[in-house]
Amino acid sequence: MAQGVEARKLNAYYGKFRAVSEVSFTIEARTVTAFIGPSGCGKSTVLRTLNRMHEVIPGARVDGDVLIDDQDIYAPGVDPVVVRRSVGMVFQRPNPFPTMSIYDNVVAGFTLRSGRVRKAERDQVVERSLRAANLWDEVRDRLHKPGGGLSGGQQQRLCIARAIAVEPEVLLMDEPCSALDPISTLAIEDLIQMLKREYTIVIVTHNMQQAARVSDRTAFFTVSGTGQPGQLVELDDTATIFSTPADRRTEDYISGRFG
Amino acid sequence: MRENYHDELDEIDERIIEMSTLAAAAMDAATRALLTCDLELAEWVIGGDDRIDALRAELESASFQLIARQQPVATDLRMLIGAVHLAGDLERMGDLAHHVAKLARMRFPDCAVPPEAHDIIERMGAVARSLVQKVVDVVDGIADRDIALAQAIEAEDDAMDALRRALFALVLSPDWAQGTEAAVDLTLLGRYYERYADHAVAVARQARFIVNGQHVHS
Repeated sequence: MAQGVEARKLNAYYGKFRAVSEVSFTIEARTVTAFIGPSGCGKSTVLRTLNRMHEVIPGARVDGDVLIDDQDIYAPGVDPVVVRRSVGMVFQRPNPFPTMSIYDNVVAGFTLRSGRVRKAERDQVVERSLRAANLWDEVRDRLHKPGGGLSGGQQQRLCIARAIAVEPEVLLMDEPCSALDPISTLAIEDLIQMLKREYTIVIVTHNMQQAARVSDRTAFFTVSGTGQPGQLVELDDTATIFSTPADRRTEDYISGRFG
Repeated sequence: MRENYHDELDEIDERIIEMSTLAAAAMDAATRALLTCDLELAEWVIGGDDRIDALRAELESASFQLIARQQPVATDLRMLIGAVHLAGDLERMGDLAHHVAKLARMRFPDCAVPPEAHDIIERMGAVARSLVQKVVDVVDGIADRDIALAQAIEAEDDAMDALRRALFALVLSPDWAQGTEAAVDLTLLGRYYERYADHAVAVARQARFIVNGQHVHS
């Protein structure tokens, strides 16, 4: 079940350095939200706080709340591993297990979560996930060939299939197209439109036109200078952000006057 | 950042200002040609319309290219969409000045405006001048985001409509002694000035859209 995400006064630190300051927002279920902003504005950091991936860096920590399905994922006793199962992530560079077959790549996360499952069920999960990732028709004849043999765009869709095999509530994408050619990029963008029927998607992108094309809502982050924490400037409908943004800093950034 | 792009946007802004200045000068000269039966001045307005038409073509083509190649957003995008609309209205304003000048030339060496209509046409010319001066200021001020002037223009358009009604009353009155041809000329002139003012209002509305993104519909 797709769930909304709410952040309340979120601060993220790397050691003593506060990378993100007092970020609050609400993201509704089954929408695509794009995080944009200049380098160092904290957008990827905020993304990683949403599935407790930020704290895996030594010295990194978070305060504030992140609620998914009204549960604070930072509440005492919450297991980060459980959080990451319900909040999937797709990274900048496609990272399939290169020697593992396409089939095994898809079921990797699923079997980790579910333990022993019957082959018929695994087959079903593989087909469903690959279809949802719009990759099934291209790989159905070579499911047992290595995932590393696919093109970059196909590998990224394989990673998306792997992420959705476990039916997460939220799907995070950290610049999922920045290592892809333009056609593969458009294929992923089409896929995002299909996936939002079932999942809540948050995507970090350096490509503003991509944000304009794929997202329902856009959040603009900025940073006032080096050593300063990143902050959320505004989060609004994408149509509004790209036609009549409320904040001058957003306008300057999206029209290429700084950043 | 993106210096060429911003230079090109500035050029579009400058072309709009030039177009509005020319459309203002054309109607001002056409009115004087009409009221003083000045053939040279009428010819000057008629010849100058080509430059306004050419500017419109340039503006449309430059805006199209920037939209196709630079993915403008927010104010930049509103400015380019607005520029295409503005150019259409300013070109029509130039055409209407051209029509007024042609009427002045057609009746030369007589005057197209008989003495009893002189005052109304003079006032229409004055309202047109005042309106279009505001248009030039608005267009020039788009970069400064000044919308108060754009609002003032709408109020002035009402004065033009009242003058047109007065002109109608004059040519339809039982005392009218200048014949049908003069009545037709004056009816057309009234229409030209009134349309000129309407296009000025449309320009003001586009300017407001560029500044704040709000569409204004009548």
